[in-house]
Order: sequence, then C-alpha cells, then structure tokens
Amino acid sequence: MSDLSVAACLVDTKEPAGKPDAVRDGSFDIGSITRRFGSPVGLILPSLIFALWQTAASYQWVEPVFLPAPRKVLEAFWLMLTKQDLFFDFLASMSIVGQAFVYGSAAGIGLGTAAGLSRKFEQFLGMTVDTIRHIPGIAWLPLIVLWLGIGAPAKILVIAKSVFFPLFLNTLQGIRSVEKNYIELGQVLLLTRRQMVRKVILPSAMPNIMVSLRYSAGLSWALVVVAEGLSGLEGLGFLIFRAQGLLLTDQLLVCMIIIGIIGFSIDRQMYALQCRILRWQQGFKG
Amino acid sequence: MGASGKLELRSVHKQYAVGRNMLQVLSGVSLDVGPGHFLSIVGPSGCGKSTLLRLVVGLDVDYGGDILLDGNRIAGPSLARGIVFQDHRLLPWLTLEQNIGLSLENSDWSARAKADAIREQITLVRLSGFEKVYPHQLSGGMAQRAAIARALINKPDILLLDEPLGALDAITRIRLQEELLRIWSVEGTTMILVTHDVDEAIFLSNEIVVMSSNPGSISKRFTVALSSPRDRASSGFIELKRQILAELHLYQQKTEAVEDCVDMAALI
Ligand SMILES: Nc1ncnc2c1ncn2[C@@H]1O[C@H](COP(=O)(O)OP(=O)(O)OP(=O)(O)O)[C@@H](O)[C@H]1O
Ligand SMILES: [Mg+2]
Repeated sequence: MSDLSVAACLVDTKEPAGKPDAVRDGSFDIGSITRRFGSPVGLILPSLIFALWQTAASYQWVEPVFLPAPRKVLEAFWLMLTKQDLFFDFLASMSIVGQAFVYGSAAGIGLGTAAGLSRKFEQFLGMTVDTIRHIPGIAWLPLIVLWLGIGAPAKILVIAKSVFFPLFLNTLQGIRSVEKNYIELGQVLLLTRRQMVRKVILPSAMPNIMVSLRYSAGLSWALVVVAEGLSGLEGLGFLIFRAQGLLLTDQLLVCMIIIGIIGFSIDRQMYALQCRILRWQQGFKG
Repeated sequence: MGASGKLELRSVHKQYAVGRNMLQVLSGVSLDVGPGHFLSIVGPSGCGKSTLLRLVVGLDVDYGGDILLDGNRIAGPSLARGIVFQDHRLLPWLTLEQNIGLSLENSDWSARAKADAIREQITLVRLSGFEKVYPHQLSGGMAQRAAIARALINKPDILLLDEPLGALDAITRIRLQEELLRIWSVEGTTMILVTHDVDEAIFLSNEIVVMSSNPGSISKRFTVALSSPRDRASSGFIELKRQILAELHLYQQKTEAVEDCVDMAALI
C-alpha cells in the first residue's frame, strides 16, 4: 500500500556523506517537517469542502436534519464534551485500539519471525493461518461476543486478529527475503543464531514490518468503529450508530470528524516512527 | 597471532549447478601458501577467483579435492580467517562503527577494549569523523576501507582480500597498499589478495599466481624476488610485470580463439 510514502519518508535521512554531525543528532530540516505534517497545499481541499458545507447549510440546499451547519456541529461537540461522556467514549475506543494493536502486532511479529526462521513451523501453521485469515474479523465478532460478552475483550480480540495477519505475513516475507550475502557475512564472523537474527535478519525485515505496522494501525482504528457499532454501549462507534438512530446528525458528524482526525494523526505518528526506525535506508529524492 | 597456519590446496575442483548443467568453475587448483606469505592472484573476470576465496574462508564445503589448514580439511568459517568481500558488504542498518564492531560480537573483550579497537581501526583506514554514518552515506572507496577495517580488527592469521582496493583513487590506493604491507610485516598475517592490478600484485606479494578460465585453473606461478621496499620503476619490477602481462594476454588470446571457434560452430 504505502510504498510511495515510504520512499518519501526515506528522503528525510539523506544527508551528504561529508556531514556526519548532521546525521548524528538526527535533526530534520524544515522541508522534511513540511513533508511530514503536510504542506499548506494539503489544506486547500479541506477549506474548499468546508466552504461548500457552510454555503450548503446557509442556503439550506439540504435540510438541516440531514446536514446541520458547521456551527451546530461545533455546539454539539461542546455539548457532548461537557454534558455527555464524549471524552470517556473516546478513551474507550482508544484503549481498545491500543491494546488490540499491541497484542496483535506482538503476536504477528513473534510468530512471523518464528515461521520465517523455520520452514517446519511455517508448514505447521500454514493451513490454519490461511483459513482463519479469510474469515474477516467482523465475521468473528458475533461468535466472540457470545463467548466474551459485549465488553472490550471481544473487540480487542477481533481487532488484534485483524492486526495479526498483515504483520505475520509481512514479517515472514521480510525474513525470507534477507540477502544471502549478509547471511554469509554473518557466517564468516561466526555470529550465533541469536546474533544473526538480531543483527542481520530482523533489521533486514524491518522495512516490511514497519509498512505493515503502519497499515494495521490505521486498519485497527477503522475497525474499532465498526466493532463498537455492532455491539457494546460505549465508544465512538457506538455514538455514531446511536446518533443515526436518534437522527442527531450533528452528533454523528462530530464523531465522524473525530474519527477522521484521530485516524490521520495515528497514521502520521506511525509514519514518523517508520522514518526514525528506517533512517538507515537510502531513498530517492522525489 | 600470525605466523601459524600452512594452507595447502590439493587439486581443488568446484562446480555449480546452472539449470540442468554443471558449470565447472575450478579445475585442479593446487597451491601452497606458507605461513606469513603474501600471495596475489590475478586472472580474467569469471575465472573463479572469488569462488576460490569462498572455499578457503569456509563458506562452501561442497568441493572436490582438499583444502588443508595445518593438515586439516577446512570445515567451516573461523575467526582465524578473515575476508574482505569483493562487494563491501557493510550492513546498511548499522553505522560504520557498528559494522566494524560486528566482527567483535563474539570476542570476550571488555566494552572499553572493543571501543578502543574500533577507534584504532577507523583511524587506520582514515575514516575518523564518520563513525555514526550509515553505509549509504559513504562513497564506494570509503565503504571498501570500512570493510578492510572490519576484517582486520580480529587480527586473523589468514586474510583473504577480494579486490579490496578496486574502487579507490590512485593515491588512496597506494597509501592502503603500504598500509597492507605494514600490517603484513607487523602482524605476520598470511595474505591472499585477488587483484586486477599487476603493479599492485608485484608491489605487495612474495608470490603471484596467474589464473586462466574455462575452467578456472592456475596457469603460472611467479616468485617475486625483488627486495623491499619495492621500486615500481626498477628494471626488475618492469621485467616481471612484462612477463605476467604476457602470461595474462596469452590465455586471453586463447579464450578469444575458443570463443571464435564457438561462434564458427554456431554459424555452421
Ligand atoms: N552461486 C553460483 N552459482 C552458479 N555459478 C556461479 C555461482 N557463483 C559463481 N558462479 C560462476 O562461477 C564463475 C566464477 O565466478 P567468480 O565470482 O569466482 O569469478 P571471479 O574470478 O571472481 O570474477 P571477477 O574478477 O569478475 O570477480 C563464473 O562463471 C560465475 O558465473
Ligand atoms: Mg570476483
């Protein structure tokens, strides 16, 4: 998915060889900050959309029940924040996503590494993994809710499952594609198996792992909304579906905008992390 | 330390499976390298020089004949044998000093001693100031020097060098040649150097082996009887160079002739 953005982020680290000091403190120039947080050009389209929304509401092109004015939405936000439990719902969603992401990616990287290092283990997992993978997380939810109830654990499990697979497959793939030359170097230096994994194999798989970490972070945020909408009594997803039922379009829009902004900033954080961890990689100036 | 380890190659054969065919890469290579010798190997591209070094370093034990170190067949890599690969092979995710330190991963030195040794090697190959730089930020020649430092830091008894100075400018090249000579005389390391530069071979070695290809084998062996330090302009130097070049051209003509025959055969 994000091949292009990976390449772009790698540009950050490209420093001329003659300037080791600049590399040492890992400082970034203004250009790279703009690249990371979006240049002003990126703000044009949102402004246009906002202006269109404002105009449509002022001239009542659409009935206010279906499209409330931006000011109404802002008021709804204030109301939800002060009189209702918006912040609490937000935290509920965040906590589910955070836990699911940590468990799912830890399991994915761990088992992916194991499968990458041992063909036997890969064969042992192969059929099971490929079958489970094709049953979408959301299809698991009803069964798991039966077992674990409508609380957080069921959602964590389902989202962790969706995080697990991209990481498992990419880690496996990354480990398998480590250059033979580097393994030979490790052999010549008599690295132990452990050292080989830590110093050669895992770092070489790291670009794959980082891409899937970023991808699945976004995925899990999207999934929590669906999962909360389908079951449970809290979280942003629950609020959205409740707002729809009660025709509280302003509240619905509040939730949508929050989800969008949080998703955006999760992605930017992951991108920054990716750039940090892969700063050794050589990119092209694009 | 150095001065131990007699290396004997006894009619070494090596073939690779290429598709369904077997490609004979080395055929009947026999060679003795005494402890503390400096041997250079010259020969045309593709004649199996790198393959030979891979066998000696112990990366590939699937070969015919024997490679004996003090009478024992080489069974795998050892820290007593270092190699500088033809490509620098620095790990892109490690900084220069981490790359050099990778060689000390299994040594029982203290962290302090390791850091000192790394600094010493970096100074030796004149890369001070670039300790924290990643390989993609180095020039080709700098990367080669880093690879040499990584091989030297273990003070191996036998050091295999696969065109280690290929990407360097003339001046750095001569400086590093002198550096290799210095290390060789101080540490008594046995050196086996693959090079395309006949001058370099004569300047550095006691002995020079010329290889020919299809299949790779030793076509002639020269002893360098010049006193050191060697004068690249001396008549003895130039005469030896002439002989080696003649030997190289000889088989080059021979292979061209063979290729001509093949072309003819294809036409008929
Ligand atoms: N892993 C391999 N599989 C098949 N053939 C190989 C393999 N490695 C090398 N060869 C073949 O062996 C021959 C010798 O290769 P080698 O790398 O030893 O040459 P070389 O003398 O080092 O050449 P150069 O001077 O260009 O580095 C070549 O024909 C090459 O195609
Ligand atoms: Mg070679």
